[in-house]
Amino acid sequence: MLPGYVVVALVVGVVLVGLIYFNVPQMALRTGGRITLLIGLVALPLLISTVNLGFGFHQSSRTEFCLSCHEMRPYGMSLFANNRTAVSAVHYQNRLIDRDTTCYSCHADYAMFGDVTAKMNGLRHVWVHYFGKIPEKIALYHPYASANCLHCHDDSRKFVETAAHAPVLDALYDGKTSCLGCHNVAHDLKAVEAHKLWQAK
Amino acid sequence: MASEMTDHAPPAMRRAAVVSGIGLGVQLAASLHWTPLTFILSAAVGLPLVLAGALMFLLAVLRIMKTKGAF
Repeated sequence: MLPGYVVVALVVGVVLVGLIYFNVPQMALRTGGRITLLIGLVALPLLISTVNLGFGFHQSSRTEFCLSCHEMRPYGMSLFANNRTAVSAVHYQNRLIDRDTTCYSCHADYAMFGDVTAKMNGLRHVWVHYFGKIPEKIALYHPYASANCLHCHDDSRKFVETAAHAPVLDALYDGKTSCLGCHNVAHDLKAVEAHKLWQAK
Repeated sequence: MASEMTDHAPPAMRRAAVVSGIGLGVQLAASLHWTPLTFILSAAVGLPLVLAGALMFLLAVLRIMKTKGAF
């Protein structure tokens, strides 16, 4: 459910439009009534809808939204995998990314249209979930872009000063090699199957 | 002038109110039962209905202004 005030605004909007429906003839006669009509049938519904849509988009970036589809459940569980080398588990368990937007933080490109692309892909996923054939093996559309990792790690001291990174730094920045070449377990689904999970006490 | 408003405007404006009301209603229902599907219904059905209602109202106003010789 969306925040209470968004729901209240929608209820107010519906009630107001209902009242306008029954009072159009009287309202159309007076200047004040005409202004109320303009506000009640154009400005307010559009404003409420825009706010609602904005909250909707915000909510659709949340981890719980992504994991509300059952096929994503193993990937959600993999955030708790007891594996210190699994990329998603390390980021989630060490709070390296916001837990409320875990999926979106790594799976939305940070380019100009990254958010739009992510939302369009999400739309496609919802369509497939409800009306399409869910693939047996879920895979990315493209190889994972290291630019998404570098968006955060880029010039962080720990990343730059890690000895193993030194020989590949330039290649990583140029996109000639991938972070996943070495960090090759993104989601440890085997640990999920084996119930090898970690949870803070 | 007043009779012109009451004779022609209300039906079109009422239609606009109905369309807009349904659009807001769809969004309200979606906000109460929030799932990926209802979010898409809200964005793909609710919002366009509100836009259509606003457009219908503005067209009705334009028609009235035209009959009154505003332009």
